[in-house]
Amino acid sequence: MTDSELKGAVLPALKKPGGAVRDFLRLAMEKELADAVILPMKVPSGDSFAWILMNDISLLDDAVPIAATMPVQGAKALRSLTRKGPGNLKIIAVMRPCEIRAAMELSKLGQVHPENLILATYDCPGAVQLQKYVDDPAGSEEYFAGMLQKGKPDDSAKPVCHTCENFSMFDSDIHFGYLGLSEKEVLVIPGSEKGSALLEGLGLDLTKDLQAWEKGIDQLKADKLNSRKSTFEETKAQLNGFNGLLSVFANCIGCHNCQSACPICYCRLCYFDSETAEQDPDALITAAEKRGGISLPVDRIMFHTGRMAHMSLSCVSCGQCSDACPVSIPVADVFSYVADQTQRTFEYTAGRNDGDPLPLRQFRKAELPGVHELVKDADAEVPSHE
Amino acid sequence: MKKEFTPRITSFLCKWCTYTGADLAGTARLQYPTSIIPIQVMCSSRVDPVFLIKAFLSGSDGVLIGGCHPGDCHYETGNYHARRRFAIVKSVFESLGLESQRLKLSWISASEGPKFARVANEYTEEIMELGENPTRKNIFL
Repeated sequence: MTDSELKGAVLPALKKPGGAVRDFLRLAMEKELADAVILPMKVPSGDSFAWILMNDISLLDDAVPIAATMPVQGAKALRSLTRKGPGNLKIIAVMRPCEIRAAMELSKLGQVHPENLILATYDCPGAVQLQKYVDDPAGSEEYFAGMLQKGKPDDSAKPVCHTCENFSMFDSDIHFGYLGLSEKEVLVIPGSEKGSALLEGLGLDLTKDLQAWEKGIDQLKADKLNSRKSTFEETKAQLNGFNGLLSVFANCIGCHNCQSACPICYCRLCYFDSETAEQDPDALITAAEKRGGISLPVDRIMFHTGRMAHMSLSCVSCGQCSDACPVSIPVADVFSYVADQTQRTFEYTAGRNDGDPLPLRQFRKAELPGVHELVKDADAEVPSHE
Repeated sequence: MKKEFTPRITSFLCKWCTYTGADLAGTARLQYPTSIIPIQVMCSSRVDPVFLIKAFLSGSDGVLIGGCHPGDCHYETGNYHARRRFAIVKSVFESLGLESQRLKLSWISASEGPKFARVANEYTEEIMELGENPTRKNIFL
């Protein structure tokens, strides 16, 4: 399906985009095209959201399909549900594009089995920073309503939302689009055969062409790309070598919250949490003698740099790491920038669902000329296998 | 008088090619500097990005990975994977503005004793020009 042929169906949006999504899901459940849905719901205290897997239609009334903030990355919810296999239930999950992209990365790592999932995304205006939301839920809801209306993030949003270029449809099964459209309508667009089958089952006519919506997206994307470029320049200037790196991560308390909030860091035992990573006391004393002193516990910088090397190829810049940092280190800004560069090295975009395996699971015989010595004449080209 | 700077180059050498090549350089009595600190690994792809980062942050002035020539890996494709992993670390270093010249990947076969000696000499020269790794004396790591 090429973009030009793609058409969508119109949903009435009298109750804002979230309401239209809820009505859509209710219909899908009533027609038994889905056994359950996964949606955010406000927690009883009212200052946060939780992912709820619901098969009771009446629960839908309290669900908030487009939540103001993202306490837990949705890919984690999908992983907990499908890590051992696709299961028998047909489940629709409505999530932010970065959450679906993280789930795609996890599926390439064998941690999510999306076969029976219908992954739905929406035009994401950004997410309010978790701390801001917890501090002032009512005010944050107001901010978010404004963001939703404009379709783009404001100051209360996570910094990475301002530089996010993948805020709209991105290899999901269905997508709810509202940007560039009148306030009374929401488009539902199929993105895969699974999605098309669902819309057909619901009896929705795909008659609406997508021009207005696409135009809305393209405009916003251009703005975001500009801000992405300038923000990356700033981050680069801030890092700028060993001392820059040290100062950015200077107040790291070594809690590893960034890692546990990260949807990609699924390893049950991370090297950095393992016994092996703990250095021998004698080695520390020797190191201190050589250097004149040493900060304890060690390896904070190695933890961050190591994580960049381990997961930045799959980083979807969701910003959960920054939200989780108790000392406000701009972890996500750094990782987003570094990830942009590593993914560029392999012409890879994290979250694509095009059957392409992870860059580390494949290779080309002749590639990456800049990273190793080029074979000189004297060394002679060696015969390749196969 | 200031002591002359002797670099420390932590070298992860594949058992089948480069380590054997280094042995050959030794038995052939080829001269190469003492800056090379060899660590034998079963394959260049055994070298996790964290090995390189750890060596760098622990004060190695250079980090070398030596593996079989592309196509000649004892395990058929290990060195191709090693090259991809190496590219990631290199990219991370470049993004962070760290000196990525302190990381080197070289293909040296078991029969290339002279090449091992040449790479060891040339890389040591290169590192001496760069000077001491700033991480060596840092206490806030």
